[in-house]
Amino acid sequence: MSGKGLVDAERRRFNAFALAPSLIVLFMIAGLPAIYLVVTSLTPFQLVNPGSSTDFSSPLRNYRLLPDDPRFVNSLWVQAKLSFCGVLFQVLLGMLLALLLHTQSRVVEFARTFFLIPMVLPPIVVAIIWKLIYTPDISPLYYAAGLLNIAMPSLTSSVDFALTAIIIADTWEWLPFTFLMVLAALQTIPDEFSEAALVDGANRLQIFFYITLPFITPILVISGMFRLIDSVKAFPLVFLLTGGGPGSVTEVTNYYAYLLAFDFNEIGYSSSVTVVMLLLVVSVSLGVVWMGRRREAMA
Amino acid sequence: MSGPIRRSASVRRLVAIGVTLIVLLSPFLWLLQMSFKSNDLILQFPPPLIFTPTLQNYVSLWQGAFPASFVNSLMSASFSTALALILGVPAAYALSRWAGRGKHALSFAILVTRMAPPIAFTIPFFLFYRWIGLLDTVTGLVLVYTSFNLPLVIWMMQPFFETVPQSLEEAALVDGASSRIVFLEIVLPMVTPGIAATAILCFLYAWNDFFFALILTRINARTAPVAVVNFMNYEGWEWGKIAAGGSLVMAPVLIFSLAVRRYLVSGLTAGAVKG
Repeated sequence: MSGKGLVDAERRRFNAFALAPSLIVLFMIAGLPAIYLVVTSLTPFQLVNPGSSTDFSSPLRNYRLLPDDPRFVNSLWVQAKLSFCGVLFQVLLGMLLALLLHTQSRVVEFARTFFLIPMVLPPIVVAIIWKLIYTPDISPLYYAAGLLNIAMPSLTSSVDFALTAIIIADTWEWLPFTFLMVLAALQTIPDEFSEAALVDGANRLQIFFYITLPFITPILVISGMFRLIDSVKAFPLVFLLTGGGPGSVTEVTNYYAYLLAFDFNEIGYSSSVTVVMLLLVVSVSLGVVWMGRRREAMA
Repeated sequence: MSGPIRRSASVRRLVAIGVTLIVLLSPFLWLLQMSFKSNDLILQFPPPLIFTPTLQNYVSLWQGAFPASFVNSLMSASFSTALALILGVPAAYALSRWAGRGKHALSFAILVTRMAPPIAFTIPFFLFYRWIGLLDTVTGLVLVYTSFNLPLVIWMMQPFFETVPQSLEEAALVDGASSRIVFLEIVLPMVTPGIAATAILCFLYAWNDFFFALILTRINARTAPVAVVNFMNYEGWEWGKIAAGGSLVMAPVLIFSLAVRRYLVSGLTAGAVKG
């Protein structure tokens, strides 16, 4: 064996040793739980009924129940509304904010940092902040509405406004994310493009639609997909602001699965809801990776 | 409008930025100012904007069970960060130098663990912990936090390792150094800033968790976010304590995220765009 071959073999051994512990641990703390979740979803498991955890007599029973469960179907619908509106607002407002803050001024660069605050705050603190704003007796919002003689309904307990209240809070929390992504994309646009267009007599709107927008469209799509994947995690907001109510107007799938497992004791059924949710998330993630690669291939 | 980049912003733009900033940050500032108000002042209507601040809420937090939960948060976040770094940094290095087949599939599998909604892990972890007695322990939280911090380390560290010139490593290898020595003494020192940024992001993710702590802890290992929510109880909401506790929970986050703001996006997206 040549010297180079010896070095390669030593290197391969080192790589294997460096990688193995992580893979083993990840398999144990993520792979096994995922497998166990699928196994549990095939049983009618209830904590009060220990024997039920190994009852595989009718493995697909939970999955057959799902389409006829109005609360499950409703939760998917609520999730779709929350995700769609949230992502739409976050991408649009994030883009506007990025366009506003895309300059080389020192002051603006300093200010940018403060726009990131909502995103980094602990989600439960975000939920507390919005609970404050939506609680009539101590809310600055209700006080301001009172000054202007506007009669404000109780937002979080109203069938018409509860979901909107959550979408507003979610948009506030995640707007900085789309803002950061779009800002990064704007900074890759060469100045010469818009300068040349200006010389040719293009107005600002034309520059935006023909130069800026095509440049940032991929980032708009990708950051939207990221927000879409993460929008199923809006648990603290729902938990604290509405508790899924009124009725089940704000009961997203994640929250319904939580109630099923830890309130109604239906561990097996909750697992099947979660498996379906997980499959949806994985397929969207695959889409993001695929688009990312295609983008890289184009670049 | 993007337009050509200007050296200084126009007055109109500065005003627009200022107004947006105030609107965006006022909900956050409202919580902060409330933490310095006595309960009487909090319930006063209209809310007084100018008042004598008091530390009363913070003092009563300090005297209660809150400090213990704060320590639980600190411990579970720090230990899970340490564990994720010890395991993940060498793994990220190996992956970044691995040209073999299966790299993409493996990377995607690691990524999915990070994107999965927490409820997917909570049910199995809850059942398993109940069985082996890890419910309501900091150890239990450390393990569950590692399940999302380890993939983050593996994803975030790879680009940092890719910036280290391979010729440097090859030269050392040819000189007879072992791969282990090359990794520890040449490569690691060059990626220290990356490790620091990754560590802070791991800490923040664990610190920000509410869902796992809500389900996997009761009293002994209760974390600060769960403790704050417990001030919203049936006898009435202790708004002063909620505001002060909330402010304390967000304090480390604000300090740390300023330190790593350059890496925030890559940390949040965990490298997925690179596929």
